[in-house]
Amino acid sequence: MTTAFDLNDDSLVVIVGSGAGGGTLSQELAEKGIRCVVLEAGKRFERSDIENDEWKMFSKITWLDKRITAGPTALTQTSPNLPTWLVKGVGGATIHWAGVSLRFQEHEFKMHSLNGDIAGANVLDWPISYADLAPYYEKAEAKLGVTGTKASGLPYHEPSSHFKVIAEGSKRVGAHCRPAPLAINTQARDGRPACQVTGFCMQGCRFGAKWSTMESSIPKAEATGNIEVRPDSMVLRIEHDKTGKVTGVLYVDKAGNQHFQKARLVAVAANSIESPRLLLNSASDMFPEGMANSSGQVGKNYMTHTGTGIYGEMPDTVNMHKSPVVPGLVSTWADNDPSRGHVAGYELEILHIGLPFMSAFLKPGGWGRELANSLANYENMAGFWICGEDLAVESNSITLHPTEKDQYGLPIPVVYKGNHANDTAMIKHSNQQATAILEAAGATKVNVMDRYPASHNMGTNRMSERPQDGVVNKWGQSHDIQNLFISDGSQFTSSGAENPTLTIVALAIRQAEYIADQMQKQMI
Amino acid sequence: MNKNKTADTRATAGANLGRRRFLARSTAAAVGVGALGGTLLSPAAWAAKAVGDHASATLLRMARDIYPHDRLEDKYYAQVMTPLAEKAETDADLKALLKEGVAALDAQAQQHFGKPYLDIAAETDRVTLLKAQQDTPFFQKIRGDLMMGIYNNPELWPRFGYGGSSWEQGGYRYRGYEKNDWIEGV
Ligand SMILES: Cc1cc2nc3c(=O)[nH]c(=O)nc-3n(C[C@H](O)[C@H](O)[C@H](O)COP(=O)(O)OP(=O)(O)OC[C@H]3O[C@@H](n4cnc5c(N)ncnc54)[C@H](O)[C@@H]3O)c2cc1C
Ligand code: SF4
Repeated sequence: MTTAFDLNDDSLVVIVGSGAGGGTLSQELAEKGIRCVVLEAGKRFERSDIENDEWKMFSKITWLDKRITAGPTALTQTSPNLPTWLVKGVGGATIHWAGVSLRFQEHEFKMHSLNGDIAGANVLDWPISYADLAPYYEKAEAKLGVTGTKASGLPYHEPSSHFKVIAEGSKRVGAHCRPAPLAINTQARDGRPACQVTGFCMQGCRFGAKWSTMESSIPKAEATGNIEVRPDSMVLRIEHDKTGKVTGVLYVDKAGNQHFQKARLVAVAANSIESPRLLLNSASDMFPEGMANSSGQVGKNYMTHTGTGIYGEMPDTVNMHKSPVVPGLVSTWADNDPSRGHVAGYELEILHIGLPFMSAFLKPGGWGRELANSLANYENMAGFWICGEDLAVESNSITLHPTEKDQYGLPIPVVYKGNHANDTAMIKHSNQQATAILEAAGATKVNVMDRYPASHNMGTNRMSERPQDGVVNKWGQSHDIQNLFISDGSQFTSSGAENPTLTIVALAIRQAEYIADQMQKQMI
Repeated sequence: MNKNKTADTRATAGANLGRRRFLARSTAAAVGVGALGGTLLSPAAWAAKAVGDHASATLLRMARDIYPHDRLEDKYYAQVMTPLAEKAETDADLKALLKEGVAALDAQAQQHFGKPYLDIAAETDRVTLLKAQQDTPFFQKIRGDLMMGIYNNPELWPRFGYGGSSWEQGGYRYRGYEKNDWIEGV
């Protein structure tokens, strides 16, 4: 069924972006009978576009529009135009994601109350608590089919060789490795088959076993007849009327033609780089600093997770590539225990990449015999990606380049990210623990990688109780403009030690209820 | 390909299944090395007109020094260098990049060791010269092409123990994803 709406229909909800946030919101609103247009900058991919090939998929689906990496980290040199690794396509980064689905911990909603002011950081409590979100986590787990949860009824994946090696190493140092809760079917469920263990979850799932908005939310939303998805539609700016209310969005289609889509309400879910960029690009006489930016916080407090990789070379074959990408987690240090020398926690997430990516990321720009010897040991490697809470820091930010423009004529984003001293202390601690586990499992050499382009992006339109501290309220509704919502990871007030998507989805489900309620009450 | 395992195999007599598998594979690799005799492929076997025999041989030596895998035959390195050199026949900028890059390398070699790069026997000496060049567009071009040509080459993946595309065979669900016969406690 293809639904088509009129550009002049001002009763529609316009959703910008079709990833974790936008895709979920569209399904939730559609199922409540609310009609939406989803504008997605990227194209539509089919399952047959999915290949088990890292570089091919990288060039096929990655957002490669020009960006600038800024800040004092090595990434600025090694990845000058690719600060993040995200997707441009219907489904957003849920096409790429590894499926790790974790709830935030209770204390992670109130990091400021817990740890007080931290010099150089801009830490704030969320305006919602864990208890507020818990019922929506439950719904999100059911929707995604998260393994090991009551909500889905799905068992965990069986331990792969990679899991076994890390589990044993963990045990030997007194840590515990558990199966990862994954939004990847272990049994056929919800129209999607069971995982076949291809090992390429981060290149998109060829079987559709992994949940994504491309596979699940978007088709379901469309089936209601209430949703029109327009791919290849890049939103350039949001317009408003004299009262400051949002009236619609200007976007450009594949052929380069511009259109104005009217809207009753606009929900921005273009991810933590593009969402603030769009607000900044929507500056007007009335909003000279950018839309919804009376706080000055649009684009600020950019968080990515500490995000290092660490790989040990074991004495025998691991074949880590024969596994769901993230088979298990060591959550031993996910709590907030300042006696470690840092606040907040981290997850050690077992994760493999293929040989092609390993050669690029093990030592970016590296060469020579030592590196070659490590790569020759690929089949013996086992290791982690470390997901640690980044603190909000105001200077970590998305800003507009003063002169350089992209193919749409929009100023390109400058993505600045440095490490707070707390991040640095956490990276050190987590590297030590991960190394100990790998060595306990027999590693003869442990390779600590540098940060690679961020796959987790959060915080640039954060939620706050008070309008002066953030961009949106506890519903993701702009403090300044009633009919403007933020529906993606940029709402995050803190980054937590957990991968963000389950929380993005839970927030979108909750937001949809609020939007429906407010629309019904004629509040928006 | 595997250093650790070689040492490990020597150390442990009662080889388990995994090690036997490895031995079978390393024997095949050793035959390959033997057949090559360890010498560089003769330039004529791949060299392109644009850069000439000397530059071609130098590029191949350099390629092996950048990502040294002693058990990989020259042809895999040549497979990366050949298209480059061929492209240089019609691409003047690339031709200049390669010729001038090799000339600069040789000049450094003459200055420090009194002979061209190719004739320097010790890998560590050649690596010293390459280190001084590593930020040049010439070096970066060669390194980048090699990284893709060696580690992103499906033909070589089995030699590294990497499986490549697996969905056509139904993934590893019934093909040993759980298999591990050496870690204790499992
Ligand atoms: C390799 C990888 C692995 C990951 N693994 C995990 C994991 O295991 N667990 C987890 O929780 N998270 C994981 N993530 C992160 C997860 O994918 C993201 O957190 C999540 O998708 C973010 O959702 P979002 O809605 O904020 O943005 P996105 O999913 O990025 O969606 C934004 C969409 O908006 C579109 N868009 C942008 N600008 C415009 C515009 N101006 N007009 C129209 N459309 C626009 C984009 O094309 C994109 O489709 C992973 C990410 C990557 C890259
Ligand atoms: S391992 Fe499972 S979820 Fe991952 S891509 Fe393969 S089939 Fe899909």
